[in-house]
Amino acid sequence: MGIIDLDRLEVRLGGRIVLNGLTGELRGNAIGLLGPNGAGKSTLINTLLGFHLPSSGSARVFGLDSRHDRAQIRQGIGYMPENDSFIGNLSGVRFVRYMAELAGLPPAEALERAHEALFYVGLGEVRYRKVSTYSLGMKQLIKLAQALAHGPKLLILDEPTNGLDPVARQRMIQTIKEIRKAGSIRLLISSHLLRDIDEICDEVLILKNGRIAALCNIEEERHSHRNFIELETAGATEQFAVNVRGLGCECASFPGGRIKLVMPDHLEARDLYVIAGEQGVQIRRMSQRRDSLEDIFLRAMENEGREANVGV
Amino acid sequence: MNDRIVFENVSKFYGEVLGVNRVSFSIPPGITTLVGPNGSGKTTLMNLMTGLVQPSSGQISVLGIGPGDADAFFRMVGYCAQFDSFPRGLTGYQFLFDSLMLHGMADYDAFRLASEALERVRLTEAAGRRIAAYSKGMRQKIRLAQAIAHHPRVLVLDEPLNGLDPMARAESLALFEELGRQGMHLIISSHILDEVDRISDRVILITGGYLIAEGNIHQVRQEVRDKPMQVLVRCDKPELLASRMFSVNHCVEARLHGDGKGVFLRTADIDEFYRLLNDVAIEGLVKIEAVAPADDNANAIYNYLIGSDGGAS
Amino acid sequence: MSVYKHDYRAYSGRVTPIWARIGVLVRYGLAEALSSKITIGLFLAALIPFIVLLIQVYLANNPAARLLVSRNGLSWLEINSEYFLRALQLQCWFALPLMSWVAPRLITYDLADSALPILLSHPVSRFGYVLGKFIALFVSLASVTLLPCLVLFVYQCYFAPPGWTSANLSIAAGIVVGGTIWITLLSMLGLAFSSWVKWRTLATGVIFAAIFVPAGVGGIVTAVLRTKWGSLLNLPVMMTQLWQRLLGVPEMVRTGSDWSLPSTAILIMLLAACLVCVAMLNARIRAREVVRG
Repeated sequence: MGIIDLDRLEVRLGGRIVLNGLTGELRGNAIGLLGPNGAGKSTLINTLLGFHLPSSGSARVFGLDSRHDRAQIRQGIGYMPENDSFIGNLSGVRFVRYMAELAGLPPAEALERAHEALFYVGLGEVRYRKVSTYSLGMKQLIKLAQALAHGPKLLILDEPTNGLDPVARQRMIQTIKEIRKAGSIRLLISSHLLRDIDEICDEVLILKNGRIAALCNIEEERHSHRNFIELETAGATEQFAVNVRGLGCECASFPGGRIKLVMPDHLEARDLYVIAGEQGVQIRRMSQRRDSLEDIFLRAMENEGREANVGV
Repeated sequence: MNDRIVFENVSKFYGEVLGVNRVSFSIPPGITTLVGPNGSGKTTLMNLMTGLVQPSSGQISVLGIGPGDADAFFRMVGYCAQFDSFPRGLTGYQFLFDSLMLHGMADYDAFRLASEALERVRLTEAAGRRIAAYSKGMRQKIRLAQAIAHHPRVLVLDEPLNGLDPMARAESLALFEELGRQGMHLIISSHILDEVDRISDRVILITGGYLIAEGNIHQVRQEVRDKPMQVLVRCDKPELLASRMFSVNHCVEARLHGDGKGVFLRTADIDEFYRLLNDVAIEGLVKIEAVAPADDNANAIYNYLIGSDGGAS
Repeated sequence: MSVYKHDYRAYSGRVTPIWARIGVLVRYGLAEALSSKITIGLFLAALIPFIVLLIQVYLANNPAARLLVSRNGLSWLEINSEYFLRALQLQCWFALPLMSWVAPRLITYDLADSALPILLSHPVSRFGYVLGKFIALFVSLASVTLLPCLVLFVYQCYFAPPGWTSANLSIAAGIVVGGTIWITLLSMLGLAFSSWVKWRTLATGVIFAAIFVPAGVGGIVTAVLRTKWGSLLNLPVMMTQLWQRLLGVPEMVRTGSDWSLPSTAILIMLLAACLVCVAMLNARIRAREVVRG
C-alpha cells in the first residue's frame, strides 16, 4: 500500500473530464507532481483533499478513501496552497494556532506547536503582527507553518517557492529538505520548476491532459547512464570536438563552448584532458549527465497518455 | 548613443520611501537580467524605464528618446508587468486588440499584429475565451503577447516565467533569445537565476534601492576580487588532488566535499588553475570525474553581493 | 555539554474529537466578533431597553409605585402578555444592528484573502464551517433577545402571586419559540449576505437593505393593490403577527379588510427565506471556484 493509491480515478468539473482514469501507486518519500498547465495537477490535489468528488474510480491516501474518509484524511494532511490564503485580521501565531486547533489539537498544545512551527520555518518577531502586513516571503512561510503545526503525515505543497527571491528560495528548499530528512512526513510537491523537484523529490508523477504521462523513481535514474558527458570549454572548441570525434566518441558542439558527447567504454576523462592539453583548450566544466528530470519530462510530454510505468 | 538605455544619477522617492537612489547605467542591445530581492527597487526601475513614473531627479534616455515624448516613448517600449490584473470581461483577443488600438493604428493592422502575437505565444486557440477563465500560465502568456504585439524595440519583462510549466518556460526563453538576437533590448527580472543566466549577457544587481553591480556576468564575477573563484572537482582521490594543487603553490583554499568524492578548490587565477588541472589529469594519478565552477554564475554573484542581508524575510 | 537541536518533531499527543472542531470555530468566531469595540457598544445599546423594562417590572410590583401611577390613570405598568410582546419586539429589533455588524466580521475576513482552501483542508466540512459560524452568531444574538426576555419573565415570577407562573408559562414558551425563529432567520440572513459581499461595511448596509427593502415593497403592494398578501414581503409585519399569536396577545383589528396573514403562510415565507440563504452560502463557501467559459 503506497501513500497515495489511484484506481481509475475520474473527476469531472463543470461537465468536462479533467482527470481521466488515473491509476498508480505513489510510495516515495517526496513525490513530485509535474505537468503542463491544465494537466490536472490542482484537480488531483483537490481530489485528495476531498474538495472534489470522483465521478468514478477512487483515490486513497494512506489507505483511506477520499470519498468516505475525508475527515480522517484531512486530519493527516497539511496543505500549503499556491495562492494567497490566510485570515488577514489575525496575528501569525493566532492564525497558526487556529488551524492547529481545527486539526484537533487541544488549545494549550496548539499554542505550543504553533510557536514551534513558526520557529522552525524561521518567522521570528513577525509572528505577532497581523498576517495582512506580511511580505510575500513571510506569507509563504506562514502557510508552511500552519501546514506543519499539527504534525501531519503528508504535506502537500503547491508551488512552495512561488515569488520568492533567490535567497528565500534557497532557504525554503533547505527547510523542505530538512522536513524530508526528519522522516516522519511524506511530501507531495507540485511545481513548475524542474530544478526544485529534482533537488527534493525521489519519485515523480507527470500528468498530461488528465492522464498519467509518467510515474517513475528518479533516485534509480540517478545511478545509471554514466557515459554521457557534458563539457564547457574555452579556446579552440571546434578543433577539440573534431579530435574527440577522432577518438571514437559521438560528439556535438553548441554555442558558448558547450560540447555534449557519448564516450565509448574504452575511453575515460583523462583522454579528453590529453587532447585539451595538446590543443590549449581549457575544460571549464565537465559533468556526467545522467538521465535528468528534464529528459524524463520531455520524453513524457511526447508519449501521450501512457499508463503508469516505473521507468529504470 | 542612440542604441542604449541610459540612466544618469536617477533617483526616485515616493514621499519619504526610497525607490532607487542615484542609479546610473547604460544598457546595450541584447538580454540583460535584473536581479535583486523583493522590494529592492526592481519594479521602480522598470517603471522608470517604461515611463510609467517620472524620476525625482536624474536623466533617463531610452534609445535617445526621453520619457517626456510620451507618444514615441510608448510605441518603442513594451512592458510585461508582474501583476495579474486585467480589464474585466474581455477575451484574450479583445485585450490584445484594444491595447494595439491604443497606439492609434488602423483596425486591420491591429488585427494582424494581435494574431501574430497570439501565434508567437501559442495562445491562438484560447484567444476567444475570457481572460477570467485562463489558467495562471495563460494569463502570463497573454501579458507577454500584449508586450510584444506592437513590435517594440525595448522589452521590459517582470518575472515573465512565473506560472509557466517547463515547456512554456523553454519556449519563452527561446523567444527571448530570438528577440535578443534581432537587436532588441530585453530587460528581464527573474528570481530563477539559472534559467535566465543561460540566455542573458549582462546582469544588473540591485538591492535596497542601490545599484550593486552591472555588466557581463563573468566580468562582474572577476571583479569581485575579495572572493577568489571556487571550483568543485569530483575525483577518486580528492586529498591527493588538493595536495598537488597546494604543492604548486596555487590554491588559496581547499575543502573536501561531504561525501568524500570531491574537493572545493579556491583560486585567485582561474586560467592558471585550469591549466594545472589539465596537467594533473594527464598525469593519471587522479581520475577526474567532473569539474564544475561553483560560483561563476548569477546565483553565486547574488549570494556574494547581496546574500542574506538583502532579503527582508 | 548541551547543544539543543530544534528539529521538526511529529505530534503524538491527544487529538480532540471531530465534532469538537465546531466548538473551535465558535470560540474563534466569538473572539473575533467581541474584539471590536463597536460590537461591545452595540451589545450594550441592545441591553438598554432591557434595563428600562426591568425597571418597569420592578415598579409594576411595587405597591408604592403603583399607587403613585394609578392615580394618574395609566395602565402601562400592567405586566401581561402585551408587555412581553413589547419586550420581545424591542429586544429583537435592537438585535438587528448587532447582527449586521457581527455577521460580516465572522465571514468576510475568511473570504477576503481566500482562507477557505486552508480552512477546509482541515477536518471540518463546509456544513461544519457554516454551523460553527451560525452557532457563534446565534449565541451572540440570543444573549440580547432570548436571555433578557426570559430574565424579565423570571423576575416577574419572583414578584408575582403564586399561580401566575403556571398560568403564564405559555408566554415563556412563546418567547422562546418566537425569539428562536427570529434569531435563526437573522443569523442565516447575516451569514448569507456576508458571504456574498466583499467589504464588511457594505455587507452591513446590504443586510439592512435585505430586510427593509422587501418590507417597503410589500407595503407598497399592500397599499396599492389593497391586498393583505403584500405583507408576506414585509418582515416587520409578519414577525409582529407571529409573535402576537405565540404570546397570546389579541390582535388589533383594523377597520376594513382583514389584515392578518395565516400563520402557515408566514412560516412558509420564513422557511423560504432561510432556504435562499442556504443556497447563497452553498454557492460561496467553496474551497475552489470553478470558472466556466
